[in-house]
Amino acid sequence: MERVDPFSLVANELSLIATRLRSMVAAEVPNLASAAEYFFKIGAEGKRFRPTVLLLMATALDVHIPELSPPGIGDTLPTDLRTRQQRIAEITEMIHVASLLHDDVLDDADTRRGVGSLNAVMGNKLAVLAGDFLLSRACLTLASLKNTEVVTLIATVIENLVTGETMQLTTASNKRFSMEYYMQKTYNKTASLISNSCKSVALLAGHTAEIAMLAFEYGKNLGLAFQLIDDVLDFTGTSASLGKGSLSDIRHGIITAPILFAMEEYPQLRAVVDKGFDNPANVDIALEYLGKSRGIERTKELAMKHANLAAAAIDSLPQSDDEDVIKSRQALIDLTQRVITRNK
Amino acid sequence: MLFCRGFSRICTTPRKSLFGFVLSRRADPSLFLLSNQYVYSTIKVRSGRETLSWSFPSLLGLGRQIHQSSSLIEEQLDPFSLVSDELSLVANRLRAMVIAEVPKLASAAEYFFRLGVEGKRFRPTVLLLMATALNVHIPEPVGGGVGDTVATELRTRQQSIAEITEMIHVASLLHDDVLDDADTRRGIGSLNAVMGNKLAVLAGDFLLSRACVALAALKNTEVVSLVATVVENLVMGETMQMTTSSEQRCSMDYYIQKTYYKTASLISNSCKAIALLAGRTAEVAMLAFEYGKNLGLAFQLIDDVLDFTGTSASLGKGSLSDIQQGIVTAPILFAMEEFPQLHAIVYQGFDNPENIEIALEYLGKSHGIQRTRELAMKHANLAAAAIDSLPESNDENVIRSRRALVDLTQRVITRNK
Repeated sequence: MERVDPFSLVANELSLIATRLRSMVAAEVPNLASAAEYFFKIGAEGKRFRPTVLLLMATALDVHIPELSPPGIGDTLPTDLRTRQQRIAEITEMIHVASLLHDDVLDDADTRRGVGSLNAVMGNKLAVLAGDFLLSRACLTLASLKNTEVVTLIATVIENLVTGETMQLTTASNKRFSMEYYMQKTYNKTASLISNSCKSVALLAGHTAEIAMLAFEYGKNLGLAFQLIDDVLDFTGTSASLGKGSLSDIRHGIITAPILFAMEEYPQLRAVVDKGFDNPANVDIALEYLGKSRGIERTKELAMKHANLAAAAIDSLPQSDDEDVIKSRQALIDLTQRVITRNK
Repeated sequence: MLFCRGFSRICTTPRKSLFGFVLSRRADPSLFLLSNQYVYSTIKVRSGRETLSWSFPSLLGLGRQIHQSSSLIEEQLDPFSLVSDELSLVANRLRAMVIAEVPKLASAAEYFFRLGVEGKRFRPTVLLLMATALNVHIPEPVGGGVGDTVATELRTRQQSIAEITEMIHVASLLHDDVLDDADTRRGIGSLNAVMGNKLAVLAGDFLLSRACVALAALKNTEVVSLVATVVENLVMGETMQMTTSSEQRCSMDYYIQKTYYKTASLISNSCKAIALLAGRTAEVAMLAFEYGKNLGLAFQLIDDVLDFTGTSASLGKGSLSDIQQGIVTAPILFAMEEFPQLHAIVYQGFDNPENIEIALEYLGKSHGIQRTRELAMKHANLAAAAIDSLPESNDENVIRSRRALVDLTQRVITRNK
């Protein structure tokens, strides 16, 4: 079985979606338009990871890509199943970008995706309003699918995103030392969006609850694996050694899996964490403990466990002889490996 | 006052004044009927946050006069009292819905719940009245038959619209009014200012997410569309207000569009949602929409007037907060039509208090205030007409609710605070 680049399998469809997204976030109010488009402009779209997963999932669940027709701006009721599933990808991206816009305000971030953050460029208020605007456009698109179960799933995602962000801001609580709390927060902030949108793709295709659950499990475990490696990379960067990453988590006082694991081995680390990381000396101390511990290693192991769970979910799907289906499933499994072997 | 905007004004009473609401202008006692009972009129008086109600029979015509024709029956009922029990129910559910497990968020919820939701209830009142006016009964609390279960469920769903509407309204207050333009304070910002912004964003998002979940639970995608449109319109309205060019600021069309987005869209679309949940025709849904839209516009126009006149009829006694913030409203726009020289002042802006004085002078010489009131009345009448166009009903509750909705259109334009 040849190894196909997962992203290339869906590249054409992705362009279609990107074009539709750009037209969907056009607003009649000029400043809002430029704000909303900010992250959909060519070059600023990010990795398109989420839409890729969703489109692959759609094919993996036996729904084929029809002949691509030119993008219709202002589609109201998409009847074709594949188009409806593409809508899920669009909705997902809009919600994701909306959450980025708000998070950047919350974090006082200056840059995002290599460009100035919107709030740095246009002010906090416009960034928040643009986020709200994207959210409302996402909801409008959602409603047009006329599937109340999917509406519920996506509403849950929105709630989870807020809950996750709220959990992260609770710096004073002891809960931030808990791995369980951390995993719940990570699910809320990162995995919920992709797990529920994978499930939505399955539901739109009319699949059984069992299959929908497998799609959900794939998304969930992929998302968790992704975030865990993200945590590692924040310490290690592109090298395997410690302290070469951006260290932005720890500097913001965000305790992630590697530190949590290290604290299990070195309880004294907890005192350091308690003091907070405004003082750079504390960052160094924490890094020392982390280096002595198996924190990084155990995080990678946990990430692999989730990646394998994701792959297993795909393997549990009902068999198919269709070449496209097989290729897409392979690509989805391939992604689970890429997520944990990447080094940026 | 930071959180006061739009509909908040009708329920915010200065401490000095006794009466929160203006009685209906129909004060002629002979019009009031009494069937077997005295007619009660309820005046709500606010003192701080307390609401005291008195019911008294004597003022409006005593005696047991029974009119022959039922078409002459006009009871004088306070619209708010018609739905006050339900409102408490809605308020309680709202409180439960915005409870958060995270302490910071919980205290933020408390804060905006008190200020943003507790004191007003204008919107939910309109929506609950509309629900009844469209022929849906308030179910009997006990002893109801099977048919009542369906009615109860529908009513609960419509109450949910009221809750969703309030959550969205407060979320927009948080995102609009509390968020300052941090650019201007960069490098000088206090920690409080920053934390305030973050909490405002998060609390607003929290409310929006709760509203989304409640919305999804209604399992009606058309209603989802309507509410999503409201959020979009609120954002557009606020952006329009933040980013006007000098030319746009002088345009009445732009102003009315912005006003629709910021104030009327919420109530028009939620009125329509009430109708849709009840399975009414597109025509009836449109009438509900028109009522809400025109009520909202009328309200805002009077709001604009009051910002200049305050509780007196004379100019300059209002808070003048609009003009001080550089927000050009209908009275000034009308005045600019009569006195083109006012354009130059408006272009200069109102950072200089002298310009405010000059503008007020022109305003006083013009028909600006009067024309704004006339426009408000036009919209109030359109709202009343929408109610009158609803399919006829003999149900007493329906009739009363419709009358209350019409009554509200008058209150909105005759209030003086």
